[in-house]
Order: sequence, then structure tokens, then C-alpha cells
Amino acid sequence: MSTKKMFALLFLSFLFISVPTISAAAGGGEKETAALNQKVDTSKLTGINRWVAEMYNGDRVLYAIVVTLVMAALGTSLAFLTDLILKSLGLEVSRISHRE
Amino acid sequence: MSFFNVYLPIAGIHLNILLLIAIGFCVGIMGGFFGLGLGFITNTALNIFRFHMAFAIGTGLSNVFGQSLSAIRKHQKMGNVDWKLGAIAIFTSVAGFEVGSRVVIALEKAGDVGSVIRWSYVVVLAGLGSFMCYDYFVLQARQLKRPEADSPAGNYGSGQERQHSSVARRLHQINIPPMISFPASQIERVSLWVVVSVFLCTGFLSGVLGIGGGFMILPALVYLIGLPTTIAVGTSLITVLATAGFGCLTYALDGKVELLAAVFLLVGSSIGAQIGATAVKFIKGYGIRLLFAIMMILAALSVMAEQFYMMTSRPAFHAFSWVILEGTVLALTATIIARLLLGYRAERAGRI
Repeated sequence: MSTKKMFALLFLSFLFISVPTISAAAGGGEKETAALNQKVDTSKLTGINRWVAEMYNGDRVLYAIVVTLVMAALGTSLAFLTDLILKSLGLEVSRISHRE
Repeated sequence: MSFFNVYLPIAGIHLNILLLIAIGFCVGIMGGFFGLGLGFITNTALNIFRFHMAFAIGTGLSNVFGQSLSAIRKHQKMGNVDWKLGAIAIFTSVAGFEVGSRVVIALEKAGDVGSVIRWSYVVVLAGLGSFMCYDYFVLQARQLKRPEADSPAGNYGSGQERQHSSVARRLHQINIPPMISFPASQIERVSLWVVVSVFLCTGFLSGVLGIGGGFMILPALVYLIGLPTTIAVGTSLITVLATAGFGCLTYALDGKVELLAAVFLLVGSSIGAQIGATAVKFIKGYGIRLLFAIMMILAALSVMAEQFYMMTSRPAFHAFSWVILEGTVLALTATIIARLLLGYRAERAGRI
């Protein structure tokens, strides 16, 4: 890809993400969620949303443990998976020399 | 695109998952590359998309926790993590942070210090960024004069490098026992008190300014403790991991984490962190420092614009602040990816 094309692509992606945000920012941002709901209405929820919301409503300690474990497990497993993909693309890493 | 809109039950809003993944990806690349959490970028982005600030912070911290785990794994493989130094950094930085935040609380009782703190933040970011830029250009000028002094790959500790860590060298000469060594960081002997003092100061400064430790710890590790930049990047991630893990748990206990949003953010950031960490392999330490310095200066500009918005209530300043922040994130993400691809190409060409 030529440098010109790369800059054009960068500029377009910048506009794509910036324009809605700038307009939101200029208007002082959209109204935040009205309140920090301590209990979530689960009556209209289904599937995983319902499960998460019920856990959130029912046991906050369990919710905190699940959140922390999910983040740790997902972070590690995605890292492992991405590592494998990068390795297959030839981007394998090993001990590097620390050049300044 | 509405197919990708999901309802986030805890935060009570609809959001596009591709947007969450994209935000996570950009933050992950920069976080993996610089050894930072960059929670302030995620928080402000989520806040703009109608997340209440408390939810934005809790969700952002959860994402940083998973993202730093991903990045540390990669840096560990490259030999960029000094666990011993990282453990000392965690405990002393937290102590310094606690003192700093208590000082602010005490000062706030006496009067409104918010504005003073924000301006101090601008000065610290811009000052550190300018110093790092200056350091880089001094080295460039020296290399132009003496091209033979350019260090080949792998000879960290050459004459020019020693000259650039003169503050660290002086600190290493302080002989107050107990003396300690950090073989993983190529530091043979340094007083434990020096290390503890440095982290107490960075923690204190972070506590006063109300920011994550990474911004302060990385330059401190490089210029005061004398670590090679790549090891400083990997080691600073240990403090990011510890603080974000703790923050994730406490915010979730308080019910301020939107699990589904955090998961989608993490999908992007975990992949991004791996790519960002891999890019470190292809960029010399001074290159990383220069990009870090540019990021600090632009972040200072963004905070300054936000400060003007608070003073004048003119929306243009708010918008300008966002343009700078987004532009910085996108430009740096693109630069890191481009350098990774160029380095990869050069490496392959070298192999053939």
C-alpha cells in the first residue's frame, strides 16, 4: 500500500469515528443513563442477559467473582488463541535483545 | 449494522458490539505496546456512549485487567518482565498513591483544588513528554555527528546509552544498604531505598493527579531506575495488572461493572494487546519512548482543552479535546501496526 493511500485510509477512518463523537461532544454528550440501577428489571430479558441480570440482582459477591474470573479466563484464552494465529502468520516471538 | 446492536442489561443501554470491539482493539494495541492500561480512554469513550461514569470506570477497569494479562503473557515470552521489581513497584506505588489521594482529600476540605490538580496534570504530562522528546532528538543529533556510535542490535549498555541514563547512574551510586540486584532488568546493584523512594514518588504523584500509575512508572523505570525501555514496558504492566484486578473486583462488588460490555471490549483489547506487545520486538527502545512522549504531549493538549471547556463552557473546546484524543489513539494505533508490518517484512526479507 502506498503512503498516500495509507494516509487517505487513516483520514477516512478518523472521520468515520470522529464525526458522530464530535457531534455528541459538541452537544454536551448524550444523556447518561438516568440512574445507577441497583436492581435490573429481568422481566423482558432472555438468555444470557437474563442470567447475568439475575446474578447481578441476586448475589453481588458471586457477580464480582464471576466478572473477575471471566475477565481473567477470557483474557488468557484470547491471548493464547491470538498467539497461535500470529505464530501461524510468522509473527512468533522469543526472547529479544533489548536495543535502545 | 443493527444486527450488531446488543442490549446491555446492567447499564441499561443498547450499543453496537463492533464499536466496543474497535475501542478495545485500539486501546489494547497501545496498552500492549506502552505497558499501560489506558483506562481513561475507555472510560471517556464509554461515557460518551451514554454509560454512567461509574459504570464506565468499572467496565474499563475490568477490560484493563484482562488486557494486561494478555499483554504480560507476550512480554514474558520476550523476556520483558521483571517480576521482582514489579512486586516492589506494586506495594510501594500503592502506598504512595494512598498518601497522595489523602493529601488531595485534605486539600479539598480546605478549598476547591480540582482546577489546580488538572493544570498540574497538564504540566506533568507535557513536561515529561517534552523531556522524552528532547532526549530522543539529542540522541538523533549525536548519532548524526558520530554515526559509528550507533549501537547494533542487542548491545544494550553501549556508551551512548550510559550517557542517557546519567540520573539512573547517579542513583545507582547511592550506597545505602540493603543493596539489591535485578538481573532480569540488567541492573547489577542498587539500593532498595532508591527503588522504594522512586515508586513512592510516582505513586504519590499518581494519587495526587488521580491517574493510573503507568504514565508515571514507565518514565521512572527508564530514566530513574535505568531499565531498558522494553523491560520497563513489560514490568509496568505488572502494576497495571494488580491495580486493575483489584479495581475490577471492587467495582463489580459495588455493582458498577457491565459484564457483557467488558467481554466485548476484552475481545478487541486482548487481541490488540498481543499485536501491540509483538510490535515492541520491531521498534528500538528510543522509538517507543518517542511515541510515548508524543502520546503524553497530545494527552496534555486534550486535558488542557477540556479544562478550557470547564472554564468557559464553550462546546468547541470539548469537541476539540475529543478530536485530539481520538486522533491520537487512531494515529498511534496505525503507526504501531505499520511498524509491526514493516518490521515483519524486513525480518522475512532477512530470513530469505
